[in-house]
Amino acid sequence: MNGPAGIGEGRGFLILRRDGVLWGIDNAAVAGLTRRAGGFLVDIGGQLLAADDILCVVDGLKVWPVAPAVRRFCPDVAAGAAGMAVHGEQPLLLVDPRRPPRLLWLEEGEGIDGEGRE
Amino acid sequence: MIPQATKGAGAETSRGGLSTGSHLLVQAGEYVCALPLVSVRRVLRSLPVHPLPGSAPELEGLAEFGGEPLPILNLARMVNAAPGANPAYPVTIVVWTGPSDARELMGLAADAALEVVDVPPGSVVTGGGGGAMGDGGFLLGEAPVAGKVVRVINLEALGQER
Repeated sequence: MNGPAGIGEGRGFLILRRDGVLWGIDNAAVAGLTRRAGGFLVDIGGQLLAADDILCVVDGLKVWPVAPAVRRFCPDVAAGAAGMAVHGEQPLLLVDPRRPPRLLWLEEGEGIDGEGRE
Repeated sequence: MIPQATKGAGAETSRGGLSTGSHLLVQAGEYVCALPLVSVRRVLRSLPVHPLPGSAPELEGLAEFGGEPLPILNLARMVNAAPGANPAYPVTIVVWTGPSDARELMGLAADAALEVVDVPPGSVVTGGGGGAMGDGGFLLGEAPVAGKVVRVINLEALGQER
C-alpha cells in the first residue's frame, strides 16, 4: 500500500462505532456530543451523526487514502470517508465532515432526546 | 495448508531460483487460482475481518496488517467460483496490486495455499470464461498445470479503480 497520506500529529480524533464499523472524526470538526437513547449524537457543525458507542479520543493517527477496493466495492462508505487508519489492532475509516457517510446519518425514528454533553 | 517453502515442482529455474513465471496456487472455492509470486508479500492464517455494511460480496471488509488498514477481497467471489467445502485452514494472501509505480497492499481471502508452480506466459489462454464480475482484466486467463486448469490472476488490474 502507498504510505500514509498524513500523520495527524497533534490532531485528535474522536473514535466511534456505528453498525459494527469504527469511524474517526477529526476533533476540530466536532462541535458537540450528546448522549441519546442507545447511543450518542455527534454534531459536526450543524449536522447530527449517530453513533452506537464512543470509544475514545486518540492523537496522531496515521492516515492512508481510501483503498481503491473500498471505492470500488463499497462506494457508499467510500464517498463519505476521508481516509483509513488503524486504532489498536482495528481498522477504521475517517469521516469526511463535508459529506459524512450515509451510515452515520440519523435514521428515521432515531430520537435526538438526551442529555447534553457539549 | 501453507507451503513450507516457496518452491514447488517446475517453479525453479535451472540455476535453482524462482522464475518470472512462478505463481502461488491457491484454492478459491472450487477453483484453483494462480497468483504471480512476485506480487505475493505474505501468506497468513485468515486475518480477522471487519465487514463494511453495504459492500459488494467481493469485499469481505477491512483487516489490520502490520499497523495498516488492509481491504480483504474474497477470491472465490472475484472469480465466480462455486463455494467449496468448509476450508480447514483458510488463509489471507497479502499481495501487491496495481501498477508498480502506484501499487497497493490488499488481502485475498482464500480456502488454502497449495504450492508454487511455474506458469509460463505462453501457456496462459486469455479471453476465456470465468468473467469475474465483468472482471476488468482481473482474470488474465487459464493455464494447464499438472493436468488441471488453473485461473491465472492479474493483480495489476485488481488495484486499479474502474
